[in-house]
Amino acid sequence: MDHFARLGLPAALDIEAATLDRTYFAAQRQWHPDRFVGRPPEERAKASTEAAALNDAYRILKNPLSRAVYFAELNGVELPGDGKTIDDPELLMEAMEAREALHETVTPEAVDALAARARQDMEQALAGLGTLFLRSDKAAIRKALLRLRYLDKFDEEARAKRMNLQRVKA
Amino acid sequence: MAYSEKLIDHYENPRNIGSLDKGAEDVGTGLVGAPACGDVMKLQIKVGADGLIEDAKFKTFGCGSAIASSSLVTEWVKGKTIDEAETIKNTDIAKHLALPPVKIHCSVLAEDAIKAAIADYRAKASKKDEPQAAE
Repeated sequence: MDHFARLGLPAALDIEAATLDRTYFAAQRQWHPDRFVGRPPEERAKASTEAAALNDAYRILKNPLSRAVYFAELNGVELPGDGKTIDDPELLMEAMEAREALHETVTPEAVDALAARARQDMEQALAGLGTLFLRSDKAAIRKALLRLRYLDKFDEEARAKRMNLQRVKA
Repeated sequence: MAYSEKLIDHYENPRNIGSLDKGAEDVGTGLVGAPACGDVMKLQIKVGADGLIEDAKFKTFGCGSAIASSSLVTEWVKGKTIDEAETIKNTDIAKHLALPPVKIHCSVLAEDAIKAAIADYRAKASKKDEPQAAE
């Protein structure tokens, strides 16, 4: 069963956060261990397996990027896994230049400005995915998701850098 | 997790950080990335008239093992021919730095980077030798 089906949702790129929360918490109540106290071991084991699977589904679908990557997988778009490399010059040049710019920043304000731009790029790229899926343009979907991975990593690095700068200041 | 002394040395004192002129005919540039962890690595070689790699530079944004792997490769390739440099295997890098199993992929990135740099250099060299042949 895929993660969408497990939560009783149609497989889709966009899901309202409130809808996801509602279906998740309802399903989680159904399989809560408290309801299986005194039940046979097979039933308790099943409940705990179901609860763990629900948690996985929720974790992956809650984040827009991991949801998009998962939805792409369901649609036959595979991203390179651990230890696999890519050599797309355009994408990597963008990532390299962004990281260099971040590396050179010396003030929290400058980091914030770069991070804000990266998040804007992410939002735009996420918003553009729908059209690519409608066209079933697998190559473009793959490229957009790889770019999103690098933007997400940039955001993570920008947070780390900001914390470092503040620590130095304090 | 315990890292080897060699790895820590390359991480703390990376050799050959920087850039070479990407547009120069005697410079090959390899740009590779590992999207699963968000690493990006640029490795460049400058090949002399005698066919030996006279300089190598790298720039890596990634974990310590990725930085150490690329630093080591730039050190290894200097003075080698490109054919020799091409034989560098990720397993040699991983072994030399005693990379832990979860970091083996960083050495893969460094091997792919030097291969890409060599391919770029060869593409430039063949274009220079036979300007009309490709058409």
